[in-house]
Amino acid sequence: MAGSGSGGSRADNGYGSQQPRRRKGPGALATAYLVIYNVVMTAGWLVIAVGLVRAYLAKGSYHSLYYSIEKPLKFFQTGALLEILHCAFGIVPSSVVLTAFQVMSRVFLTWAVTHSVKEVQTEDSVLLFVVAWTITEIIRYSFYTFSLLNHLPYLIKWARYTLFIVLYPMGVSGELLTIYAALPFVRQSGLYSISLPNKYNFSFDYYTFLILVMISYIPIFPQLYFHMLHQRRKVLSHTEEHKKSE
Amino acid sequence: FCFLFQVAPSSTLLDVKHKFHKACPQWYPSRVGLQLECNGPYLKDSINIQSLAVSSIITLYFTDLGQQVGWTTFFLTEYTGPLLIYLLFYIRLSTIYDQVESTKNFRHPVVHLACFCHCLHYIRHLLETLFVHKLSGGHTPLKNMIKGCAFYWGFTSWIAYYINHPQYTPPSFGHRQVSFAALAFLMCEAGNHFINVALAHENHAGSKGCFPSPTYNPFTWLFLLVSCPNYTYEIGSWISFTVMTQTLPVGIFAFLMVIQMSLWAQKKHKLYLKRFHPEVRRKAAMIPIIF
Repeated sequence: MAGSGSGGSRADNGYGSQQPRRRKGPGALATAYLVIYNVVMTAGWLVIAVGLVRAYLAKGSYHSLYYSIEKPLKFFQTGALLEILHCAFGIVPSSVVLTAFQVMSRVFLTWAVTHSVKEVQTEDSVLLFVVAWTITEIIRYSFYTFSLLNHLPYLIKWARYTLFIVLYPMGVSGELLTIYAALPFVRQSGLYSISLPNKYNFSFDYYTFLILVMISYIPIFPQLYFHMLHQRRKVLSHTEEHKKSE
Repeated sequence: FCFLFQVAPSSTLLDVKHKFHKACPQWYPSRVGLQLECNGPYLKDSINIQSLAVSSIITLYFTDLGQQVGWTTFFLTEYTGPLLIYLLFYIRLSTIYDQVESTKNFRHPVVHLACFCHCLHYIRHLLETLFVHKLSGGHTPLKNMIKGCAFYWGFTSWIAYYINHPQYTPPSFGHRQVSFAALAFLMCEAGNHFINVALAHENHAGSKGCFPSPTYNPFTWLFLLVSCPNYTYEIGSWISFTVMTQTLPVGIFAFLMVIQMSLWAQKKHKLYLKRFHPEVRRKAAMIPIIF
């Protein structure tokens, strides 16, 4: 049941009269692989969490902690790209497009903004989204691990469907502030931008692109947030009823 | 809501829809989807009431299919947009380009040729929609039209911006590249036209017509190799246009068209395989031999 990102993992995305897909479920080999994958990812994000705490204790302040967890963050966040393949090969019942979208937005922020614009790495907003991502991912991957092993403790399920209420806005704020902080440096250095004239008659302005990305959060974030709230009501109330009926 | 109609057993679902439309004027027949069960498949208009009837009372479920638009309107809107939008960029409206550079006046001939070819392509599409294609009276949801228009109009704006830009760079291999590509473009346009005419003739012959066969016209000989040569010629046109203008955005548009046409060709090919089994089997769907 290793689904996708924070945006729900079921096939019912409310697109009209779609017949409920009967989940075939991954085979034994696929399940074993997925368990290993999710355990490794949980461990990875725990490493990042521990790294953050140690760096904070060592430095005494919460500024510029990015450098202490830069490598594991890049490695494990990029590793999430495998989840797109999981959906594509059908061993995970999520939509490829939705998963791709979510993973790519994370990878974009990790590489195309935080890594590429070095001046932004000392910003506090980076810590904001790294902490949000770390806690979310640890809970998410352990949720999937336990689900695959059919032994899901209620605490993890509760945590996954409740903590997002705070973590999601926290992460989004961190991301938006980081992109905003990167803007002047992108303008100055002309990063990733091509201008006319050139042989293939093409132009791309990374600065404008980043602004459009920021604007796109406005329609997308509320939708995903309310979708998760809706999922929460469904999942947690279902468990309540199930408990009562026992 | 519940409506009760009395209909003759020999009438079709379309008659039911018309009666419904009379009772509730805002639900015109093409907007209504009727199903036998709550979330079942939609029933065709031509189905007879008698074939559905289990008893003397039948229950049908109604779904609003959304605002509908006829195919003719759909295509006319979709093709007129790019025609006009490209021309707006061609005449270099003052709001789009910097006026100082625009008035420098020298424009490489390929820019004029590109405008001519682009207009030719869409005028041909428009004329074929009006006079050649035998479009069924069917409809499609308005949402589809908006999506299609957004795609075509958006990309036309993007490519027109670069081709007509004062800083446009002509193709690297000069006149030879332009002439060769323009020739290929014209051939693909002609081919596309003749294929559409041939397909329209077959449709006219009735639903049980045979697969169109190549005639004395060399452009129709592609029927021997592929089952959907109209898509082949269409992507041929766009690839030629890309080479002719040497503009990356056109290439991206052509690439997306290739993907879209491949999906459509695959579907059609499967349909043909079922209907015209022996002839079509050795053919490719869209690109000879390869796909």
